[in-house]
Amino acid sequence: MTTMHERDTLLENLGLDGQNKAALGKVLNTGNIAQAAEDEDGRMSATIRINRDEICWDPSILVLPHGGDLDLEIINDDQNTHCALLPSNGDRKFIWLVNHSKGRASLNLDGPGYYWYSSPSGNDEGRGLTGVIVVLGDVPPEARLDRPDQPRP
Amino acid sequence: MTTSDYIDAGEAIEQGRLSGKVAGGEVAPPVTENLTYERILDARNEPENWLTYYGTYDGQRYSSLDQINTGNVQRIGPAWIFQAGVSGIIAGTSTYSFEATPIVVDGVMFLSGWDGWVWALNARTGQEIWRYKHAVPFDVSLCCGNVNRGVAVAQGKVFFVTANAHVIALDAATGRRVWDRTYGDVRAGESGTLAPIVVKNLVIVGSSGGEFGVRGHLDAFDLDSGEHQWRCYMVPKPGEPGSQSWPADGEAWTRGGGNCWLTGTFDPETNLLYWGTGNPAPDFDGAVREGDNLYTDSIVAVDVDAGQIRWHYQCTPHDVWDYDSMSECILFDRDGRKLLAHFDKNGYLFVLDRTTGERVSITPFVDRITWGAITRDGQVTPKIYPQDEGVPVHFYPGPAGAKEWTHAAYSPKTELFYVPVQDVGATAARRRREFKEGIPYWGAGVSVDIDEAVGYISAFDADGEEKWRWRNELPMCASVLATGGDLVFAGEPSGEFNAYDARTGELLWQFQCGSGHHSSPVTYLVDGRQYIAVPVGWGGWAEGFLPGMLGAGHGSALIVFALPEETPSRGL
Repeated sequence: MTTMHERDTLLENLGLDGQNKAALGKVLNTGNIAQAAEDEDGRMSATIRINRDEICWDPSILVLPHGGDLDLEIINDDQNTHCALLPSNGDRKFIWLVNHSKGRASLNLDGPGYYWYSSPSGNDEGRGLTGVIVVLGDVPPEARLDRPDQPRP
Repeated sequence: MTTSDYIDAGEAIEQGRLSGKVAGGEVAPPVTENLTYERILDARNEPENWLTYYGTYDGQRYSSLDQINTGNVQRIGPAWIFQAGVSGIIAGTSTYSFEATPIVVDGVMFLSGWDGWVWALNARTGQEIWRYKHAVPFDVSLCCGNVNRGVAVAQGKVFFVTANAHVIALDAATGRRVWDRTYGDVRAGESGTLAPIVVKNLVIVGSSGGEFGVRGHLDAFDLDSGEHQWRCYMVPKPGEPGSQSWPADGEAWTRGGGNCWLTGTFDPETNLLYWGTGNPAPDFDGAVREGDNLYTDSIVAVDVDAGQIRWHYQCTPHDVWDYDSMSECILFDRDGRKLLAHFDKNGYLFVLDRTTGERVSITPFVDRITWGAITRDGQVTPKIYPQDEGVPVHFYPGPAGAKEWTHAAYSPKTELFYVPVQDVGATAARRRREFKEGIPYWGAGVSVDIDEAVGYISAFDADGEEKWRWRNELPMCASVLATGGDLVFAGEPSGEFNAYDARTGELLWQFQCGSGHHSSPVTYLVDGRQYIAVPVGWGGWAEGFLPGMLGAGHGSALIVFALPEETPSRGL
């Protein structure tokens, strides 16, 4: 049995933290976690990148403080070509990312909830390039049920 | 290499731009600009179109089109197929289902899929004109699969709801979002699955989430602006009419259920919406909510302007079997009387006077009913139900009901109702649990029978007399369509799409669609050619209505049938 602070060490010792080590890919969502920045008008921004030979989004978990508009910088520092398929209201956003390239995406998301994003090329998605955007917050007050506050887990 | 060496990958584009569209082909002709309330009222006189969820406000799911008829239906075949597939991680990846009713307006089809998809298609060729994809969180609370039952269209806009409880208006020409309102709380377990209905200047939607202990409601929004107009709760607060049917103390009413998760019908003469409401919560543990639990499991008549309940009829008072009454209310007239017919999950056909809610008749429509009995004068006697903690009881019908949400049809030509029947039982043992917001709140462990699950399409007259029955070795879990060609169409869970003689029930035609049916077929006409369209894609709450097919393959295809086109002579 391990504890949370030993998690990175155990992943490394077991060889689950990279390509073609213990298994074939990197275990999903074992990468970094980061929060988006927010400007005065509530618009959010963040950078996600693919580091060399890591087959993992950095961060693999991006946390937004609320739903709304997100400006994303996307960097491919890997020595292979990847791409990004990203959630957004209206249609998903796609960008091709050749080796050592940098692009942008503007996303609009509701909250709260989890959204996936990936590199849908080859089997990047299964080998590690599937990430999560986490949107925090609550629905607008007018959408809530007219009832006293209820217990939550 | 430094960061200055990065190759500029540019700006991410909408994925739909990479779908082979011809430039300029992504704009739909303005067919909905003049689709007014008056036209929808008179939809019966536009049989070439399918303008609203049930085809017409009366919920009959009947079209007078008769180009395809009992004499030639054997010759129909696929005209085109539309497929979208599934990619990535979606809510309920293993249980998504294609449950929509297509809407057709003058050659353009507006169709919703699962997980926030909406498409405009050329109704003659199947070519995609535009797409809209709402980003739906994959952790949204869903009881019964990632499903959506369709869109509404009026005055240049397409309206639909999302699994995370938004109601959205799109520009019908471009698919671009015009307005977006949140009408439910995903943290409370609410979601959206139904097709909206447009009445006058209102877009009317109901809430899903009956398995999470919410308080069901209907909402109306202004068609143009999206401004909220009214909300009608289906569980009263203390002191409101109906509140005496809940425990006087405690919070049972706050989580009482009564969701309006399926589209209602409308009569312009009474100015009433007829809406079925869902189960009380917790579904199977009645001891924590003593009383009849109004207005759960009820047919409610709601004044469309005021958003207030004018009358109600409760089909299963104090339900402890999950017998939602959300099913459609089919409006019809007989002997000068304005009536409605409702096939309830509890196995009984209710015919009511739709002006007053007065009971006209009650008739069982499924062979096996053991949960209790309802007499012709409306007396309800429960017999078997989960009562003692941990003690399993078996009853018919199971919690998916003798008829699930999928719709019956009524032909004014034959004066018969055609109903898809599920004759399936289930076992439930009460398991009390503490209520916590956003957590399933069933109050039982439940398993639905795999063996001895059968079904049929039955034809009933308005007196409840069964005129014919087509038996199937599996429950019938898809909506029925009736046409002026004296045909009845219905799909099977095993993939067959069937056409029956509406007068005899004889099976006249069948096509294997490759996946089970759990949707609502429609018919329409373009350039003089009649089409039958059926979304095909097995899934949803299969563990509830047919667990014996939980392992069946998924699908996500819209298949459209027609008679062969006239072929030019070869000059032989």
